[in-house]
Amino acid sequence: MDRETIAKVAKVARLALTDEEMERYAQDLDAILNSFAVLDEAPASDTYALNPVPVVDVLREDEPAQEIDPQLLRGQMGTYEDYVRGPRLS
Amino acid sequence: MSAPSTYALIQYAQRRHLAFTETVDGLDEGRFHFSAKDNLCALGFQARAGSAVLEGYRPPFDATPIHRLKAAGGQLVGKTTMDEFGFGSFSTNSAHGVPLNPFDPDRSCGGSSGGAGAAACLIPGHIALGVSTGGSISGPASFCGVVGLTPTYGRVSRYGLIDYGNSLDKVGLLSRSAASIAQHFGTIAGPDPKDPTSCAQPPLAGKGRMPSSLALPREAMENLDPAVRKAFQGALPVLRGMGVAVEEVSMPSLRFALPAYYVLATSEASTNLARYCGMRFGRREEELNQHFNDFFTGVRSEGFGDEAKRRILLGTFCRMVGFRSRYYLKSLAVRQMLIGEYRRVFQEHDAVLTPTMPFLPPRFEDIRRMTPLEMYLADFLTIPPNLVGMPHVSVPCGYVDGLPVGMQVVADHWKEMDLLELAKGWEGAFLYTFPEVRP
Repeated sequence: MDRETIAKVAKVARLALTDEEMERYAQDLDAILNSFAVLDEAPASDTYALNPVPVVDVLREDEPAQEIDPQLLRGQMGTYEDYVRGPRLS
Repeated sequence: MSAPSTYALIQYAQRRHLAFTETVDGLDEGRFHFSAKDNLCALGFQARAGSAVLEGYRPPFDATPIHRLKAAGGQLVGKTTMDEFGFGSFSTNSAHGVPLNPFDPDRSCGGSSGGAGAAACLIPGHIALGVSTGGSISGPASFCGVVGLTPTYGRVSRYGLIDYGNSLDKVGLLSRSAASIAQHFGTIAGPDPKDPTSCAQPPLAGKGRMPSSLALPREAMENLDPAVRKAFQGALPVLRGMGVAVEEVSMPSLRFALPAYYVLATSEASTNLARYCGMRFGRREEELNQHFNDFFTGVRSEGFGDEAKRRILLGTFCRMVGFRSRYYLKSLAVRQMLIGEYRRVFQEHDAVLTPTMPFLPPRFEDIRRMTPLEMYLADFLTIPPNLVGMPHVSVPCGYVDGLPVGMQVVADHWKEMDLLELAKGWEGAFLYTFPEVRP
């Protein structure tokens, strides 16, 4: 995996890597992906599911319910006058 | 000399073996005591999942398995140490202490539920809630010489679990005996509307049927430490003495399991970890006068550990346009193929038997010399049942130079109680050894 690719992946993943990390992770991922090449030998198939066992949708009546006090959830975040504070968008 | 109190043992496990990140100040008499891996949310404790990025996060609710154990008369006595978000096989990728093996503190407890393995070993009667994505219950059970049950995917609600891989994560139990696990497994199992993946399960059998025929894949006997191979082979006559037949079979698709698992696990992890950006959970960045990209990137780059970054990068790459079919979709197809291969074996046999780990608990100095790929390969025996979501149990089956060796039995979906019957029967034929503890 070249440096350009690992830099692109890191940007998508919102990770800032040092030069040393860039070099090291590129080497690691190269070795790992080379060993994954065995997957090319697995028979092709269009049969797959996203989970290993069947999963059902669970529906409930659309009624207001409150199990956790919103103030407790808000307490985990930085707020100002009941608004959540965040970084600049532009 | 009288036996040490449970509270003294908990403190010893925390102080000397770093099994816990936090513990209670005292025990409630008349209640049974259990611990939870630190990626399960619980009132009164931080939930940091071994990560610095979650420093200070205090969830305002109990995860369903914890809620159910409390309702059944249990007291949560502490949170156990683990690899960051479950990313590891030796519990060395932890921001909150690396647990030390109860049999030899210079060696690993296994991972990622390493603290749970140590607590289950050091405290008689203790029940430890663990979580497995690719072997994080079996591995520590093997290295710490205890019993570890990983249930079928979807058997136990994951409401309140800090996700690693959504199609792979399973909450299970570790303890010194299968009887203790059987006693509490029915409490945590069962549908929970808060986790739809738990709502398609058949009822849990009241009593299992002991497997009488085990298949031993010859592919699982390759690349083993000779000492592990010998100890495992020594267990086979004991099984046969219990009336359990063991027959060698071939499962050629097992070779695809490890890459397929790492592709799916890291792909899912890389999306799950997107939520840690310095606003909602744990570590909060206060320099708000930044562009959001710089803000998120700064928090994540400082908060995630080395292995977390590696897996985020790997998973992000596997999902990128141009690589998605080759890696992610192919791995989904491999999982389906492997389920079919297990099912073919189950037409002739009740369960699949292998050693649990390919080597003895490694020394920390040896782990430091391993490459990431070598660490991933360490899981080649525990990954297949985890990938296909089938229940499995690891039990001690031998000792080499005073270190435990584990064997793992895999059954078809939903047959946990059959595995526990076998594990209970095994305990009648094979004597477990535990380290002497003097708090």
